[in-house]
Amino acid sequence: MIGLTNTVKLSRFYKLYMYLMKKTIAVIFGGQSAEHDVSIITAHIPIIQSLLASGQFTVLPIYIAKNGCWYSDPEMNRLAFFKDPEFESSLKGRKKIQILFDDGLKIIWPGITKKVASVDIVFPAMHGTFGEDGSLMGLLRMANVAFVGCDLSSSAVAMDKVLTKQVLAAEGIPVVPYVWFTHDDWKHDKQSWVDKVSQLAFPVFVKPVHLGSSIAITKVREKEHLGHALELAFHYDNKVLIEQSVENLVEVTLPIMGNERLELAQIEQPLNKSDFFDFNNKYLSGGKNSGVNSQYSELPAKITPELSQAVRDLGKQAYRILGCSGIARVDFLIDGQCNNIYVNEVNTLPGSLYHHNWRSAGVSGVELVTKLITLAEEKFKKQKNITHTFNSEILKQLGGPKLG
Amino acid sequence: MIRHWLTRYHLRYPRSLAYMLQASEYNITDYIDWYRNTENFSQVEIRKSFVKSAKSNVVLVSIWLTMFCLYLLAVSFIWLISKPLNYFAVAIFVFLAPFILPYLLIIPMVVIKLFQYPVEWQILKKAKQKISFHRGLKIAIAGSFGKTSMREILKTVLSQGKRVAAAPHSYNTPLGISKFIETLDGSEDIVIFELGEYYPGDIDKLCKIIHPDIGVITGINEAHLKKFKTLERTIETIFELSKYVSPQKLYVNAESELAGKRAAGEYIKYNRAGVKDWKVTKPVTGLDGTSFFLENGSNAIQLHSSLLGLHQVGPLALGVEIATQAGLTLSQAQEGIAKTVPFEHRLQPSKDVSDVVTLDDSYNGNPDGVTAVIEFLSTLKDRRRFYVTPGLVEMGSKTRQIHQLIGKKLAEAGIEKVVLIKNSVTPFIGQGLRESHYRGEVLWFDDSLSAFSALPSLTVKGDVVLLQNDWSDQYR
Repeated sequence: MIGLTNTVKLSRFYKLYMYLMKKTIAVIFGGQSAEHDVSIITAHIPIIQSLLASGQFTVLPIYIAKNGCWYSDPEMNRLAFFKDPEFESSLKGRKKIQILFDDGLKIIWPGITKKVASVDIVFPAMHGTFGEDGSLMGLLRMANVAFVGCDLSSSAVAMDKVLTKQVLAAEGIPVVPYVWFTHDDWKHDKQSWVDKVSQLAFPVFVKPVHLGSSIAITKVREKEHLGHALELAFHYDNKVLIEQSVENLVEVTLPIMGNERLELAQIEQPLNKSDFFDFNNKYLSGGKNSGVNSQYSELPAKITPELSQAVRDLGKQAYRILGCSGIARVDFLIDGQCNNIYVNEVNTLPGSLYHHNWRSAGVSGVELVTKLITLAEEKFKKQKNITHTFNSEILKQLGGPKLG
Repeated sequence: MIRHWLTRYHLRYPRSLAYMLQASEYNITDYIDWYRNTENFSQVEIRKSFVKSAKSNVVLVSIWLTMFCLYLLAVSFIWLISKPLNYFAVAIFVFLAPFILPYLLIIPMVVIKLFQYPVEWQILKKAKQKISFHRGLKIAIAGSFGKTSMREILKTVLSQGKRVAAAPHSYNTPLGISKFIETLDGSEDIVIFELGEYYPGDIDKLCKIIHPDIGVITGINEAHLKKFKTLERTIETIFELSKYVSPQKLYVNAESELAGKRAAGEYIKYNRAGVKDWKVTKPVTGLDGTSFFLENGSNAIQLHSSLLGLHQVGPLALGVEIATQAGLTLSQAQEGIAKTVPFEHRLQPSKDVSDVVTLDDSYNGNPDGVTAVIEFLSTLKDRRRFYVTPGLVEMGSKTRQIHQLIGKKLAEAGIEKVVLIKNSVTPFIGQGLRESHYRGEVLWFDDSLSAFSALPSLTVKGDVVLLQNDWSDQYR
């Protein structure tokens, strides 16, 4: 029995030690975007769930409400909190948090019993506007805190479907022929834009440039229906992309993880019920607690080994060209008859991190999030070695009697 | 510590006591045991909660009444004892009241029992009469483990040609069995009973009601050892069944060492090698089920069951033997065996979308069952295996030994991940693993729920997760 008592005592010390050594991970989710709700799912399944399951981290959930207010409460670590239909009204009674840049990121719960928590690493889980477009990353860079996933520039480029194509095409990556214009361009000279679109082979896809999760995308078969599709797209974005549809389409996607050395998940083929993989297919038809839909996809995709290899190579190239880090997912369009492969877009925060795919590839949720955190730390350490400031004499020289 | 201690003064305290009584099935010894092991009374209802029924309401009201009487007594001290000692006495008594209350409750419990007794006696008498006139073949199953699987096998196989009624698991006490007998309509060809044993004499009592024609002893081990105190007493209690059936009609599972030894040459033994003239050959098991051949000189049949593990071969062979005894044809028996499927929470497999196979064995909390399951897991070589357990309860003086042995067996089977729930017994499993130089990973969780919710984040495609045993609120 003595042996056991000692072990128990030791394990108490160990527990305390572990508690003190535990890194605090802030998971930021929600946000003012069309994908607010999807973000809540991604944050919980798998991110928070796996961080907690690992037992290695203290998890600080940071929820940004639809009105832009920031909240943090241990209760928000449970997905059930957000499933409660009353949760939005319950926010009114809660303290909003403040953030402090103090050579790192600190969270403050203001008031008489003021509480401060410092964040070691941020795990962004915000899709779409402000989250996936690089805005949040800019904020985190300024806070000088390590964060998981792609940086500002790659996020900003990947968020703009046109910019993505331009950057990839410049590096010789095959992309589908396209036309783009802004709302103002369209209003001022509809006919010339219709003419330009007419040079593409119909059917075409009309897409808002910045939106993820396939929101407001329309397949247009005839020129006459263009106006309606554009109206819908301009409702969500000021810039619109019209791209030629690939015939005999085989759509595949490849999640990739890493900074310099890349690890690939499995090539996945979404099995569309409708003409393309839209928001409802992606998120709503999935199984219970699976996060992103996994039942409506072929995993691994049933394509030839040669095609698979080409997809993997192109995926790695696209990831590198865009400067991705941590994790991203590259989407491809394949013409099933002539086996032409096009890189379609890059998603810097795959819904639910595509954890079902990683799991199938032999990477568990816990392994996925711990790897991503290690990658974030590595990237942060590297950036720290780059000097951003230098001492200049310019201010001193500016002063003095000349000004007087 | 002080916070836990103060929970006795909380308004929820009486309800917690009522729940503890209800959850320990109004068994005074169990309830007092539980009470003594509890520190925090605001957290006794974890897995289940207080269920309102006529009886439980009476109990709850009587707890409040007792409490009220205690405080009334306390206040009366103001007048009963002279000043200034009286205030002191009141304070002391108010302070002590919650500590006296749980023991004082024994009185209303006894009173309630006294009222129940004649009613129950009537029910038993009626049942005894009814079953003695029943024309069906009566099969009684006793044992420390494996009763439910045996009952399900017999029920499924015999139903191929006969009308069969079987008492559900919880109906294994005199009162429960009497209630089950009441539901029989007399047309049944075969009636199957499961005999519950908690204290010496229990099997006797049940057999006096049933008078079985065929008896099956599925095995004997340390289950409920805390109540039986010694294994000898467990063995004798279970073998009380032998007084009521002829030796040629009592089947004993020889794979259970204790049962096999006690049976000696007297009764018919069955195991994975066969039963009576039936010889088992070419047994194979996997996640799809278990297959084997059964031969007895002139006959040979191939059998397949969805039950998992070679430890099921013996009971399945016995199923065929009893079926032929009861007049079923061999092909009927064969079809019956094919229809046997894992019973709920007993090595019951399920597959999720990511091809992770979960084997729910949460109702299996006995050492022999655990050994059988680890043996089964050791045959699954091409998959990564997770073994999740809070350990076993009621192992009495054998607690340490049994859990160390589980650790040793897990290490020997090369199970990749062992997930343990922190409590009073799992450190012994940890010790057993260390002593056997276990090379896999041990993962500790504060409670079962956090372990269950972490599992999806820990597993990958192709993994097998075994959930072994589940503890009720009574155990820590």
